[in-house]
Amino acid sequence: MSSVGGTPLFLLEFGDIVMYFTPYTTSLFILALVFTCIVILSRPENQLDIIFGSDGYYTKETEVEELRFRRFMSIACGLACLGATVTGDVFDFTLFVSLVGITNVGIVAAVRSRHVQNAAFQYGIVALAGTVPLFGGAAIVAATNGTLSMIELSARTMSGVPLIAKALLTLGVMGEGMAPFYAAKAEMFRAPGAPYVIMCSLSSLLIFLRVVEVIITM
Amino acid sequence: MIISRISAFISDFENLMPLFAGACALLFIIGILMLPLPYEEKQLYPKQINRSSTLDPYDRGGSPFTRATIISQYPQNSPTAGYVTTYLTPLSWFLANTTQHLGTTIVAHPGGILDEILYNTRGLDTVVEPTILFIAFAIGSYLFRRG
Repeated sequence: MSSVGGTPLFLLEFGDIVMYFTPYTTSLFILALVFTCIVILSRPENQLDIIFGSDGYYTKETEVEELRFRRFMSIACGLACLGATVTGDVFDFTLFVSLVGITNVGIVAAVRSRHVQNAAFQYGIVALAGTVPLFGGAAIVAATNGTLSMIELSARTMSGVPLIAKALLTLGVMGEGMAPFYAAKAEMFRAPGAPYVIMCSLSSLLIFLRVVEVIITM
Repeated sequence: MIISRISAFISDFENLMPLFAGACALLFIIGILMLPLPYEEKQLYPKQINRSSTLDPYDRGGSPFTRATIISQYPQNSPTAGYVTTYLTPLSWFLANTTQHLGTTIVAHPGGILDEILYNTRGLDTVVEPTILFIAFAIGSYLFRRG
């Protein structure tokens, strides 16, 4: 198999689901792994807001329990990213992407702020709706090709994957990876616990980069 | 000018959901227009429904106490596929052979070709699926208990 990502260096078999490590997917995998380690090890900072035009400042109190939950969600998100970046099966990829989507909802939803939780609700609805085109795309791939293995699909000389399946898959990933839009608007980057929020953006970036490889390879 | 207007529209997260829904609707309409799509007759995981079986609604395929043939993408990766299709205890096997009612209790007997595909050849999928459920449950219970 040779794809846009390069020749696989290593194959990891889980029955019919074969994970393949091409130079491209390996670099995404390492990025997700490093950032997951950073999330595990880092200690979130306390936030200080300076009152403009004076020497006064105030700190925002954040419960340890909230940060602990968000760290748990970030680690889960990192692990989902690890799977999504290397899996060699279309259906497995969609499952990992929806796991990334739901953990992103968890990271955003744990913040105790009405504005942020409104954003999390809206994002949750989009992530929910995004699963329809996502799994629909995978179903069309299975129906028109009879297989879900990306290695088999790329080995075919004539691509049998219809354009609509690729488009649905991309739209589904867009729905699941829409968190940065909400995170930016929801003042999440100013909220305490920055490394956990950046996991939203990084995971979205990783699944976007991966779906590009997937649809070009198929 | 137009870009700043678009970015102002997108920056309101209330607008993102209608935008995404509109994109979905548009793509679904295009998808319907592109019908019919060719159907590949040679499916990797074929499924037969045997209406005359005594286990009918839940017949998962495969004969008890013998090894079944499981079609898989990479047979060399699943050397033990087909051994765990014996989903009936001897009593259940007797009931299945003598009555028509075991179909209602078959949910208590995991096994068969379908489960071999789910747990053996596509086992990772089966792990990820409950993980999604557990994560969703964790978020829900955290938000509920926090009040």
